[in-house]
Amino acid sequence: MKRLGPALLALGLLAWLALWPLWASGYRVRFMLELFMWVALAQSWNLISGLTGYVSFGHVAFYGTGAYTAGILILRADWPWPLAVLAGGVTAPILALLIGYPCLRLKGPYFAIAMLGLNEVMRVVVSYFDGLTGGGLGLSLPTLHASVPVYYAMGATALGATILAFAIITSRFGLRLMSIREDEVAAEAMGIDTSRYKLYAFLLSAVAPGIAGGLFARDQGYIEPISVFPLLTTITMIVMCLFGGKGTIFGPVLGAVLLSVFQELVWARFLYVHQVLFGVIIVAVVLFMPKGILGVLQERYRLPRTI
Amino acid sequence: MTTVTGAMLAQVVVSGLLAGSLYALVALGLALIFGVMRVINIAHGTLLMLGSYATYWWFTYLGWNPYLSLPAAMGLLFLGGVHDPVDEKPLEKRAPELSSLLLTFGISISLVNLAQLAWTSDLRSVEFLTGSYLLGPVAFSKARLVGFAFALGITVLAFLFLGRTKLGKAIRATAQSREVAMVCGINVGRIHLLTFGVASALAAAGGSLVSVIVAIQPEMGQVWTFKSFLVIVLGGAGNYPGALLGGLLLGLVEQLSSLYLTTQVSEAIAYLLLVVVLLIRPTGLLGGRT
Repeated sequence: MKRLGPALLALGLLAWLALWPLWASGYRVRFMLELFMWVALAQSWNLISGLTGYVSFGHVAFYGTGAYTAGILILRADWPWPLAVLAGGVTAPILALLIGYPCLRLKGPYFAIAMLGLNEVMRVVVSYFDGLTGGGLGLSLPTLHASVPVYYAMGATALGATILAFAIITSRFGLRLMSIREDEVAAEAMGIDTSRYKLYAFLLSAVAPGIAGGLFARDQGYIEPISVFPLLTTITMIVMCLFGGKGTIFGPVLGAVLLSVFQELVWARFLYVHQVLFGVIIVAVVLFMPKGILGVLQERYRLPRTI
Repeated sequence: MTTVTGAMLAQVVVSGLLAGSLYALVALGLALIFGVMRVINIAHGTLLMLGSYATYWWFTYLGWNPYLSLPAAMGLLFLGGVHDPVDEKPLEKRAPELSSLLLTFGISISLVNLAQLAWTSDLRSVEFLTGSYLLGPVAFSKARLVGFAFALGITVLAFLFLGRTKLGKAIRATAQSREVAMVCGINVGRIHLLTFGVASALAAAGGSLVSVIVAIQPEMGQVWTFKSFLVIVLGGAGNYPGALLGGLLLGLVEQLSSLYLTTQVSEAIAYLLLVVVLLIRPTGLLGGRT
C-alpha cells in the first residue's frame, strides 16, 4: 500500500504527458519535446560520469553521430524515419567503443580530455566527407509533419533512459560502477574488471544521445556540423545532471526540468550571460553541493538511496 | 594528388618544427600542473586566450610591440595564477582529479563567455611581422620564426628553473611525492600556487606568441587545451623533456598530414595519434608515470 501513492502519481504524470499534444499549443509541445531531450541526455551523461566518475566532456559527439546517421539514412537510403533514428542509437555506441576501448583502460583524466577533443574531430570528419554528409552546407531532409510522433518518440527515449538508469543503479552492475567512482584501485582489488564495466557503462550511455540526435534531425529537418555538435549541449547536460544530483536516478530529471524552465524564462535571451551562469553553477555545485539538489534532499529527509 | 618534392618536404618539416615549439611551450605549463597537482587544467587554453587578448589590446591601444608585451602578459597571468582556484581543500578528500576536471571546466566556460560578452566573438589579429624569409625554396614565416626562438628560449629557461633552482627542485619534489616533500619541509600549498602561477605564465607566453600568428577569439583556447594534453600523452605524463619532444612531434605530424591529405583532417590525424599512443604505449614515448 505504501508504494501505491508514488505509482499512481507516476501514472498520472505519464497520462498527462501523453495527452499533452492533444490540447497544448505547438509551442508548448515543442518545449516539452526539448525537455524530454534534455532528460534523455542528462540521464545518459549520468550513466558514465555520475556513476563511474569518468567525466565525459564530449557527449554531444554521440548526439551528432545519431543525427547524421538518421539524416543520411533518411535522405540517401530512403529509410523510414523511426528506423533511421534507431540506427542512430546503434552507430553512437559503435563510436563510443572506438574511443572508450583505448581511453577507459587508463585511469584519471585521459578519458575526459579524449572526449573533449572528440567533438571537434567529429565536426571535422563530418565536414570532410561532404559527399555523404553535405559538408558545411548540411543536410536538408524531406519535409514531414511529424511533430507529434517525434514528441512521443522523444518521450519514450527519456522514459527509457530513466528506466535504464533505475535498472542500473539498483543492480549489482550499478554497485560495481559506483565502487569504481569511490575507489578504483580497491574495486579492482575486489575482483571487479573495471575497464570492462566502465566500457559497458559508456556504451549504454551513448545509446540515448544517438537516438535523441536522430529525432532532433527528423524534427528540425535540417542539420549541419555546427548545429549538431555544439559544445553548449554537452555543457547543458553536465550542468543539469550535476545540479539535480549526479549518480541518482531522478537527479538528472530534476535538473533538466528546473534548468529548462529557467532557460525558457530568462536565460535564453542572454546567450553568453546564460553560459557564464552555467560555468558558475558547475563551480558552485562541485565546491559546495557535490551531490546536487537531490543529494542534499536525500541527506536531510532520509530519502532512500534509490531515488 | 601532386607529387611531393624534396622542397615541399623540407618546408613541411620546418613549419612543423616551428609550430611544434609553441605546442611544447604551452604543454609544458599543463604538464607542470598535472605533475604537481594531478589535475588536468581544462582552463589552460583559456589562459592562453587571455594572454592573446592582453597582447592584442596592448598592441591596439598602446602600440606595444607584441614581443615586449610578452613578459607583461606572463607577469599578469602569473599574478592571476597564484590566486589559483583549483587547490581547494574539499577537493583533496575524494576523487580530486575528477572533481577538479569539472571545476576547471566550469571556470573555463565562465571565462570564455565573459570574454565573449566583453570583447564579442569577432576575429581579431595583431598585424605585426608579416611576410617571411626565404632560404632557398623554403619559406620561414617571420612571426613563426620569432615565435619559435621565443618558445624555445622560454622552454629552456623553464627547464633551467626546474632543474637548477631550489624552488624548481621543490616543485619537482612535490610532483614526485607530496608527502615526502612535506616531510622535507617544503610548503606544499605554496608550491601548488607557485606552480599554477608559472603554468599560467607559460600559457600567457604562448598566447602572446600565437596572437601574431592566428586569429584571436574567445573560443580559441579549447583546441590548445586538447593539443597540450596530446603533447603530454606523447611525451609521457610527468616527463617534462617529453613535453618538448611531444610538441615538436605533434607539429610535424600535423604538417605532414596536411601535406599528404588536407589541412582539414590534420586535426583528426592528431586525434588518431592520441588513440594509437594510448593503445600501444600509454606511458608516452619517453616513459614516465601514468
